[in-house]
Amino acid sequence: MKEEIADFAVDYALKKGASYSEARLEETSANSFALKNGIAEASGFYRVNGIGLRIIYNKAMGFASTNDVKKEKIKALIESTISSLKKASAITEKVELSDEKFSSCRYSVKQKIKLEDVSPEEKIRLLMDADKETLSSGTNMPSRYLSLSDTTTTEYLTNSDGAKICATVPRSNFFYMLTAEHNNKTSQRVWQYGQAGGFEFVKKWGISSILAREAKAMGENLRKGIKPPKGHVDVVACPEVVGIMVHESAGHPYEADRIIGREGAQAGESFISPEMLGTRIGSNAVNVVDDPLLENSHGFYRYDNEGVKARRKYLIKNGIINEFLHNRRTAFEMGVKSNGSSRGASYDRESIVRMSNTFMLPGDYNEEELVEDIKLGVYMKNFMEWNIDDKRLNQKYVGAESYLIKNGKIAEPLLRPAIEIKTPKLYSSIDAVGKNPEYHSGVCGKGEPMQGIPVWFGGPSVRLRKIRLA
Amino acid sequence: MEKEKICSRVVEKLIKNGADDATVSLYNQETSQLKFSNSRINALKTWESSDIGVFASFKKKIVFTNIKEFSERAVDDVIKKIVKFMDFASPKEDYYGIAEGPFRYRKIQDSYDPKIVGLGDKAVDIVQSAINKADSSGAKRCAGVFSFSKSSVFLTTSNNVSANDKATKAYFSIRSFADKNASGQQAGFSRMLKYIKPENMAEESAKIAKMALKPAEGKPGNFNIVFDELPFSNFIENLGEAMSAFSVDAGMSCLKGMIGKDVAAKALTINDNGMLSNGYNSQMFDAEGVPSRNTCVIKDGKLKTYLHNTSTARKFNVKTTANAGILYPEATNLVVGKGDFSKQELFEQAKNGLYITNTWYTRFQNYQTGDFSTIPKDGIFRIENGQISRPVKDIRISENLIGMMKRVSALGKQRKRIIGWGDVERPVVAPPAMIEGVRVTRPR
Repeated sequence: MKEEIADFAVDYALKKGASYSEARLEETSANSFALKNGIAEASGFYRVNGIGLRIIYNKAMGFASTNDVKKEKIKALIESTISSLKKASAITEKVELSDEKFSSCRYSVKQKIKLEDVSPEEKIRLLMDADKETLSSGTNMPSRYLSLSDTTTTEYLTNSDGAKICATVPRSNFFYMLTAEHNNKTSQRVWQYGQAGGFEFVKKWGISSILAREAKAMGENLRKGIKPPKGHVDVVACPEVVGIMVHESAGHPYEADRIIGREGAQAGESFISPEMLGTRIGSNAVNVVDDPLLENSHGFYRYDNEGVKARRKYLIKNGIINEFLHNRRTAFEMGVKSNGSSRGASYDRESIVRMSNTFMLPGDYNEEELVEDIKLGVYMKNFMEWNIDDKRLNQKYVGAESYLIKNGKIAEPLLRPAIEIKTPKLYSSIDAVGKNPEYHSGVCGKGEPMQGIPVWFGGPSVRLRKIRLA
Repeated sequence: MEKEKICSRVVEKLIKNGADDATVSLYNQETSQLKFSNSRINALKTWESSDIGVFASFKKKIVFTNIKEFSERAVDDVIKKIVKFMDFASPKEDYYGIAEGPFRYRKIQDSYDPKIVGLGDKAVDIVQSAINKADSSGAKRCAGVFSFSKSSVFLTTSNNVSANDKATKAYFSIRSFADKNASGQQAGFSRMLKYIKPENMAEESAKIAKMALKPAEGKPGNFNIVFDELPFSNFIENLGEAMSAFSVDAGMSCLKGMIGKDVAAKALTINDNGMLSNGYNSQMFDAEGVPSRNTCVIKDGKLKTYLHNTSTARKFNVKTTANAGILYPEATNLVVGKGDFSKQELFEQAKNGLYITNTWYTRFQNYQTGDFSTIPKDGIFRIENGQISRPVKDIRISENLIGMMKRVSALGKQRKRIIGWGDVERPVVAPPAMIEGVRVTRPR
């Protein structure tokens, strides 16, 4: 990686009159493999390389990127960006960034089994073995789409405030979409696994057993599922469901750029306002954090894409709104320090406020204790359909693998129990939190053009009291 | 070496090394975007990129990759890697090849505008005028983007295809806020600068926002609903995803097994038109070089065809519809036939119901059955006795896509060209629509 070209870009922008400049140089190599109904789809490998620049001139913000990483091209790009900013700065928003400490750092995520050392043959064989397990599960599985992919990204981030960060992060992802059929009725499940690290994690996931278990549960649900109960019932939401809940209604609304209105026409705004800091949103049992420092997590980083050192952020502490997610721009506007939440999906995307790994902290209960005093309730292990409004208040989660809870025991499978609830009610209904945290992977979408970014979401099982099912 | 020559060299070398089929495409693009929020421009952005995409098949083993360095040495490295990669790959047993050229191509009207190429800093004035218009039309603040681009594509294949096209595109999206809970959004595109009207869109979004002030909680039930062009386009785009032969094969389509059957009301005719004049995704040829065409997919409510590339068409024993995507066929521009009704007449058809101006976060419980839900956002209004009345909030549509399309009872006579963030990512040309008995739920 020619880091000197990024250093040159930062210096050249300053020389041309910029008050701040930043360059992000990226080299990514990637592989992907897919299987549809037992037949190999296209296999692929590709590379991404380029440079992205952020420049502040006359307090106006410009972003420019190119995959032609040559000095002359970069000089031309900087000159045209500054020329545009010069003309537009009279009417643009005045941009200032929070003061932060910057340093130099090189880090990489270790791989016990290097992704590049695993042959395409072995990766495809893993998918084929998993497909066979799905078919031998005893459930009719007419459609199966499986994919396995990996990326290795090296980024060098430097800015005119002194940051010089070089990071290498390999990641693997496994995605599946399954269709089960019984008596002309079908059900579907989509899920994925993702981690930073080597191929040892793909082996650890146990792709074949994941799919065998999933197919069996889908078949049981189709064959034996009954309608969910009506009226107010208690719900035990398992880690996958808790994960999507906290991502959607505790992570997104705490993104400071949404609170300020900067994503108003895209990902939306937030029901949260700055004045709500320190006010109650849920029961004492609720603690939600965002933490990029989890080793080998999907959303792992040590420094964000502005060069700010990452740390754990307590979004909700004992049910109280505690902290928002900030980059340097939103931090300045709200008079605080950045907490290292600025991420861009690749060199050609402006870094904006993003989540990393967002999860509910575990409590003291084991799952049996969560269930044992429920006379009639719902145990929601996972979900398929979900959505939430753009202010992050009105949300819906429809159970996939779910069961009735009867007299403190898990009983028959349930067909599509649906929770449709507002955020304060959701977090206020939680009266007990399990000690069985899990982390699940996703690709979170935000920004325009859309930026899909790797995240984990998770938590333990929780008990929600008196929920009226939709 | 010129980039086009590199592309031809890659095809030659792939064939020499044992490939049965090869396509190589060179795509150059320059895009600018002005992003605004709180009625101020907050960032000026530009992107430049040049990519060579490579697809090859070796005895049904298929591979895709890209080339980032435009040199003879880089080409040789990629060819070596492909050949090595193929040693271990598995055959795609249901791959049936690419189209055989040569082909003749027709030019597309209104697809390239030098005024967009030369727009430069004048874009700032366009955005500022739109912001001013929204503010003077009742918005307290507004947010959005104005993007414009120029691009060129060169395609060469092992089957006698060598084709060029170029494009300009402009896209404008604005969301006006009359307060935190009262908003309106408009989004649209054009290939020609003269057809895109940011000020009109700004005025319309502000008008909806003003009307949406002080919403009451919505009620659950089944309602006749008039959907504006934007939310109706969201449903059509989802139907477009289901039209792809890939989706049908992968169990991700509610149109599986429905050829020749009713999948919508008689009022509904949908074409996929890759040659659409001023169409956002119009291009003279598809990804394997087949001349683009206008295909009727749903005629008077009946499904006529899926969308195919050459390989899926051979598998399904039909002709390609010129919708490659080599890895999977995809819609180009989805065009809904217009109806006879003015917007006011649609409200009168609904008589008592709801008027929805936007939706967001559409998610499926089952792609094969078409069960889904989506959340109305921005202005949502009651219709009482054929007139728009009070705004409402916090509702959700929980429905079935085919079931809903079968209950389309009236279409507007004016259509809009829609593309928008998140929920209409493929271009749709659609009128507003009245749909009967739509199931509405709300949080408890």
